[in-house]
Amino acid sequence: MTRIDLTETYPYPIAQVWAALTDKAAISEWLMTTDDFEPVVGCKFRLRSKPMPGWRGFVDCVVLEATPPARLSYSWVGDEKRPPMTVTWTLTAVAHGTRLQLEHSGFEGFGGFILAKLMMGPGWKKMMRKKLPAVIEVRLQKETA
Amino acid sequence: MLADGERPVLSLASCFSVSVPAVSQHLAVLRACGLVEERREGRQRVYYLTPDPLREVAEWMAIYQRFWTDRLGALGAFLARQAGHTPPKPRKKGRRS
Repeated sequence: MTRIDLTETYPYPIAQVWAALTDKAAISEWLMTTDDFEPVVGCKFRLRSKPMPGWRGFVDCVVLEATPPARLSYSWVGDEKRPPMTVTWTLTAVAHGTRLQLEHSGFEGFGGFILAKLMMGPGWKKMMRKKLPAVIEVRLQKETA
Repeated sequence: MLADGERPVLSLASCFSVSVPAVSQHLAVLRACGLVEERREGRQRVYYLTPDPLREVAEWMAIYQRFWTDRLGALGAFLARQAGHTPPKPRKKGRRS
């Protein structure tokens, strides 16, 4: 699966970083506007911004995991035509602050989404699981190089 | 395999322990998804990767890569405001897989 991984270290205590990730007023300041986020599994919330050409201007999410102060995960649907993605925040206390890891996964593309639904036969399944992702990875690396 | 260039169906089939018709069927699915395209060459069909859906994913990811890098910066600034002092330079590590 293709994903984005980013890590940043902030010189603040883990509780403060957790609060910034889970308080809706805080989220609205640094990420996008929300008035219905709660750090509770199953909570459906919307992140709103300005619509742009090619984007409807909001993201619909559902909290998948909320384990203070270490892990927060939510589904991410920014475009109803695409498969849902997942955003996961992992917090670790380090010597002078907090390490924050962000993982945004699910960049399969529309073709991959359909393929995942079509794959049936066992030999085919194995081939697709191992070979196709490798091909896509190589291809993406070439494309982005 | 197609990442290295176009291949005729027989050549593709020889790499898998499945029949040629089975491989053809699989290629038809890939084609329906817009991931490969075929062209006729004499009596056989040659398959090649269509880069567009993959390029689209790469562009889509690049947008999010920028978005999250900006947001992580905004989070740092927010935390600094909360703590009541000017933002120190965070150490930054980015990786894309």
